[in-house]
Amino acid sequence: MENVVELKSVTKNFKGFSVENIDLQVKKGFVTGFIGANGAGKSTTIKMIMNLLRPDSGEVKLFGLDYTAHEKEIKERIGFVYDSNVFFEGMNLKDIKRIVAPAYKHWDDTLFYQYTDQFKLPLYKKIKTFSKGMQMKASLAIALSHHAELIIMDEPTAGLDPIFRRELLDLLQELMIDGNRTIFFSTHITTDLDRIADYIAFIQNGELVFNQSLNDVAENYALVKGGMELLDRDTEKSFVHIHRAPTGFEALTGNIKAVKNTFGDSVVIEKASLEDIMYYFKGGIHHV
Amino acid sequence: MFNLIRRDVILQKRLLLTFLPFILFFIFMDVHPTVTFLVANIFIPYNAFYYDEKAETNILLNSLPYTRKEIIGSRYLGAIVYMVLAVGVTSLALFALNKPFTMTDIAVGSGLFLLFAALTFPLFYILKPGHITTVILFSFILLVGIGPPIMSFLAEHLTAITDFVANLSLPVLYTGAVLAIVTLYGVSWGVTTMIYQRKSF
Repeated sequence: MENVVELKSVTKNFKGFSVENIDLQVKKGFVTGFIGANGAGKSTTIKMIMNLLRPDSGEVKLFGLDYTAHEKEIKERIGFVYDSNVFFEGMNLKDIKRIVAPAYKHWDDTLFYQYTDQFKLPLYKKIKTFSKGMQMKASLAIALSHHAELIIMDEPTAGLDPIFRRELLDLLQELMIDGNRTIFFSTHITTDLDRIADYIAFIQNGELVFNQSLNDVAENYALVKGGMELLDRDTEKSFVHIHRAPTGFEALTGNIKAVKNTFGDSVVIEKASLEDIMYYFKGGIHHV
Repeated sequence: MFNLIRRDVILQKRLLLTFLPFILFFIFMDVHPTVTFLVANIFIPYNAFYYDEKAETNILLNSLPYTRKEIIGSRYLGAIVYMVLAVGVTSLALFALNKPFTMTDIAVGSGLFLLFAALTFPLFYILKPGHITTVILFSFILLVGIGPPIMSFLAEHLTAITDFVANLSLPVLYTGAVLAIVTLYGVSWGVTTMIYQRKSF
């Protein structure tokens, strides 16, 4: 399968924080959701994909090309949406279009006005008077109007009301009908992903924990509940993290088979949501 | 590249309405034409930095299909383009108001502008946003206010240099000045590009 984004052992160090040895592939024609807690390294990774940040070491390739020689070619094919407004806030959408449109060879004015109509965006009102949701729609209209093959979004659903979040997800789903499109977006609202994501990349403390299809995640991870007497040094090894309570334990496992072998029917195994997975990984010990 | 230069006009279209009154103010105050040309030249390029020093602008520009070289190039080329336009408009205004001015006024005003630009443009990419405007304003006042007295002080006390300069023929002096300014502008362009390429947003 073709990879649109490929990160190879990418490392970036900051004071007191680093993104380490990231190997990430984003597959063409699919929606990849990028999850992780606040400060896990999602934005840093996205900035490296956009070449806003240069990695200290490692390789970043988009469409099989690298930024040193093909910067314009690559960005020509990307539509971007960031978590905060990056457009000149004192300007109206029409003027912003005037600045952004000539940058792209394949800018499509008709498409742009179609989206502004669909999103009910006023063309002559200053961006700073827009609500958070409208600003997001404006960014989206601009990102979608140059026939981008890859849409990169950093927390597009943050701060949006549930109704617009759904509208956005529906819209993204519609976009995916064109099989050449790829969407990569970060979020910490994991319920968004159950609806549209094909793949989940999970980052934690600057390290990529996994990058699997949503099905694989569901098959590999589960919540296990049982009595405290079942836990000892050996049995604990099957868990990512264990939450102990006087009434019993609840733990996340990355190896359902092993748990079944060890505990048999003495525990309850439940489907783990992405939120459960994030929560238990945050808890610490990594056995995976 | 042209689009990046044109962007300044779109961004500043409201502000541009104040350009003419701004120039007329200087003309009516009977300020020396050289100074009028200098401030006219400074107007657009330095207002542009008001937008460019914001982090969001840099994130936007760098996410669009532009290279960092082009972004800086548009600043330096744009300054020259807008300088030519500003000189044109200012000349017309002076001419219409029957105020005498010479080619030397234009040359010295523009030369000083390029010198000032060469020295201050890199600062916009080195200093933290927010402090820059203050620094530039301060250095401009220094340049205009304290510059001339220092020059005359140096002229009086460093006779070796003044003699050397005084002995140069006018063409040599002008050519030398032009060469020096062009070189400095070019070096400044190169340095800023280098700084900008290493930046993170």
